[in-house]
Amino acid sequence: MNIFEYFLQNKTQIISLLIEHIELTAISVGLAILIGVPLGILISYVKKLNKPILGVTNIIQAIPSMALLGLFIPFLGIGTIPAVATVVLYSLLPIIKNTYTGISNINPQTIEAAKGIGLTKFQILTKIQIPLALPIIMAGVRISSVTAVGLMTIAAFIGAGGLGYLVFSGIRTVNNNQILAGAIPACLLALVVDFLAGVVEKLVTPISLQEVKSTAKKDLIKTRKFQKRLLVISSIFIILVFVFSSITKVNTNSKSITVGSKDYSEQVILSNMVADLIEEKTDISVNRKVNLGGTQVCFSALKSGDIDLYIEYSGTAYGDTLGYPPISDVEKVYDTVKNDFKEKYDIEVLNQIGFNNTYALAVKEETAKKYNLESISDLSLVASNLKSGTTLEFLNRDDGLPGLTKEYNFTFNDSIGLDGSSRYTALVNDKVDVVDAFATDGLLKKFELKTLKDDKNFFPPYYAMPIVRGETVEEFPEIVPILEELSTVLNDTVMMELNYKVDELQIDPADVAREFLEEQGLI
Amino acid sequence: MIKFEKISKKFKNTTVLSDVTFEIEEGQLVAIIGESGCGKTTTLKMINRLIKPTSGKIHINGEDISMKNVIDLRRNIGYVIQQTGLFPHMTIRENIELIPKVQNKSAEDITQRTYDLMDMVGLDCNEFLDRYPTELSGGQQQRVGVARAFATNPDIILMDEPFSALDPITRSSLQDELVSLQSKLKKTIVFVTHDMDEAIRISDKICIMDKGEIIQYDTPENILKNPVNDFVSEFVGKKRIWTSPEFIKAEDIMIENPITCSEDLSIFKCIEKMRSYKVDSLMVIDNKSKKLRGIVKAKQMRLIDDKSIKISSVLDDNYIYVSPNDTIIDVLKSVNENNISTIPVLNDKGSLIGLITESSLVTTLSQQYIEEEA
Repeated sequence: MNIFEYFLQNKTQIISLLIEHIELTAISVGLAILIGVPLGILISYVKKLNKPILGVTNIIQAIPSMALLGLFIPFLGIGTIPAVATVVLYSLLPIIKNTYTGISNINPQTIEAAKGIGLTKFQILTKIQIPLALPIIMAGVRISSVTAVGLMTIAAFIGAGGLGYLVFSGIRTVNNNQILAGAIPACLLALVVDFLAGVVEKLVTPISLQEVKSTAKKDLIKTRKFQKRLLVISSIFIILVFVFSSITKVNTNSKSITVGSKDYSEQVILSNMVADLIEEKTDISVNRKVNLGGTQVCFSALKSGDIDLYIEYSGTAYGDTLGYPPISDVEKVYDTVKNDFKEKYDIEVLNQIGFNNTYALAVKEETAKKYNLESISDLSLVASNLKSGTTLEFLNRDDGLPGLTKEYNFTFNDSIGLDGSSRYTALVNDKVDVVDAFATDGLLKKFELKTLKDDKNFFPPYYAMPIVRGETVEEFPEIVPILEELSTVLNDTVMMELNYKVDELQIDPADVAREFLEEQGLI
Repeated sequence: MIKFEKISKKFKNTTVLSDVTFEIEEGQLVAIIGESGCGKTTTLKMINRLIKPTSGKIHINGEDISMKNVIDLRRNIGYVIQQTGLFPHMTIRENIELIPKVQNKSAEDITQRTYDLMDMVGLDCNEFLDRYPTELSGGQQQRVGVARAFATNPDIILMDEPFSALDPITRSSLQDELVSLQSKLKKTIVFVTHDMDEAIRISDKICIMDKGEIIQYDTPENILKNPVNDFVSEFVGKKRIWTSPEFIKAEDIMIENPITCSEDLSIFKCIEKMRSYKVDSLMVIDNKSKKLRGIVKAKQMRLIDDKSIKISSVLDDNYIYVSPNDTIIDVLKSVNENNISTIPVLNDKGSLIGLITESSLVTTLSQQYIEEEA
């Protein structure tokens, strides 16, 4: 399937994500202007604040955006607010700096003349300083807007939508068409924003301060008219986007549940199944907030009530969330999680739903044949010749690489951290020899990889289980038996099959979920 | 009208002004002049409170300005600075109408006033009102600056070296227009400059400052003629008077005690008197009133045979004279037109107070060259 076909097939989704993206960017830049310009003015008046404020904004600029986003989740939850907050913070620096520079560079004699003829401080600000600094302020806004368009892709990480959704899902599933479907509109949007902001920048520069020959003045006035029209049209468009989206958002059922998921195919399939089942068998309407970053994002969202339920894995809850050292006892892990979650967070852990998505190590068939590998014990004998490429998470977890190498007593020649599905690409291209994988990963099938048997039973159990907010269970007790029905139809092989459909055959996870439920006669 | 009372200003440790006291009268154009750093601009800016004095008070029409609302104060004082004072992002119209607009005056009045002001400064409304300052020449910009200062029809106008960046021809034509504008509108104008020619040319009074103090505050004429100390004469320049000959008056160059005689003296005695004083003419006066009866010349005497007759009988009473306030130019004109070598100076009662001779004129006029060499 080529990129054009992909665009045509998914045009409704791409357009709605693009609109979402425009909306989020517009809100962020708008807020950044509302905060940044007054701050810039403030520091040009109160010089003492200049260094601390510029210093803080400089530091913010240096924090990786993902880290900043992570810091916000405990306070702001997930969704639009933390995404916008992050982008606003990143957009502040150019706006504050340019406002400050613009205002302080005005000829002091001009300001004195304004004072001398009897303008009040406020009138000097609004009639002299801001108009004269506006071209420079707008240049800052322009930089911020373009950066914001790019940065806003991270919004998808915490369920705020936008074009980043396509980029992230595409990276997870090694679907280049999907990546491009997100990236190309984002680039075009950035170009359009840059162009429009450039037009505004020119328009706010008084004709007298533009370097134009007097003969060209008439042409300039003409272009200005055209540019003004263009801006009016674009602002009307943005306003329409807001109106449209607020109308569509209004019709939400008072009886509703929000289902979340982490950002990979299996999670998206499962959350769609859950949502379909609830919608089919009850009169509750379901909001789907799929593709929310990792465990921390989902769990924070669950605690704060941004989502009502999602599918967690027993080992993740036990090791990561509760912080216990990894063990391999399935029953003990599940019971501890169930009790602790209820006590500590008022979160109900429902029954495990039939498959164990634990870690596994995988190699190419050729590698397996070459070294005669069946189990991790076999691997440990030749590991010093091999390079591993694992997720950063696996590289650092006690129940990941550090524990594993200890248990089997070996070390790799080199171990590098590679996020998401790019490690499969590295493996196929022989950049690494061993990768970590999830037992049900469809990509294992796609790349025809050999999983090595965990013969010492090192990896803890990672059984999938729905976890639901206590309040939600009280309000809608009918969903519990519905969710537990899933365990009758799911197991490791079935799950890998479903994942494969999404990852390799590139069928929409929602369709895969629905088809499967229909096949099984659940809906 | 504007009264400075013991004004001092210190910036940290440096004293910019110390104990400045002077008064600017209503309707006068006063130039404050001095070298850079002398405190002239500081003095000016205290009037519209752009700078606050460290001590002392300024009164305008008897009111202490520090008690007034600063915005109202400034709106009632016009302010003109070098061309950067126009706001570059506003058209000429917007520049002029800025203050009237924030005062919410009616649109009609504002427009009318703008047209009047443009007329006043000699700029064509249709051509200039919708242009931006950068599209105007320096001289035109400064005219707009003046128009803007008059926009609220203030009684006082402050001008801070408004013409200093202009070329000499434009500058002198603007100076002339300012003088004629001033004589028509009778505004009180305070004008800071570092150019003595400019100050002499336009002002009613000049205030010379040095190191934060007023050295001399007087009319241009008095400053030229009677500099209070070496600083002033140095500053004014010794030859400065020759660029303004209208300030050299007959009384300044006359011989104050001309040789006189009474009407009843005999011709013989007169000749004797001339010989002994080595002069060739005598002023014949009335002994009591000192009124000039006429002039007798040695040549004329010698032609008379009877040397014993009284002088009154041969007196020529159809003489040419000048009054003490006539300028050296008038004197030279009389000398040339009438082809005479001596000319008496009479006060308004007709009494003789002095005499200008060819030699006193030569002495005066030669000063400018001789001093230059010295």
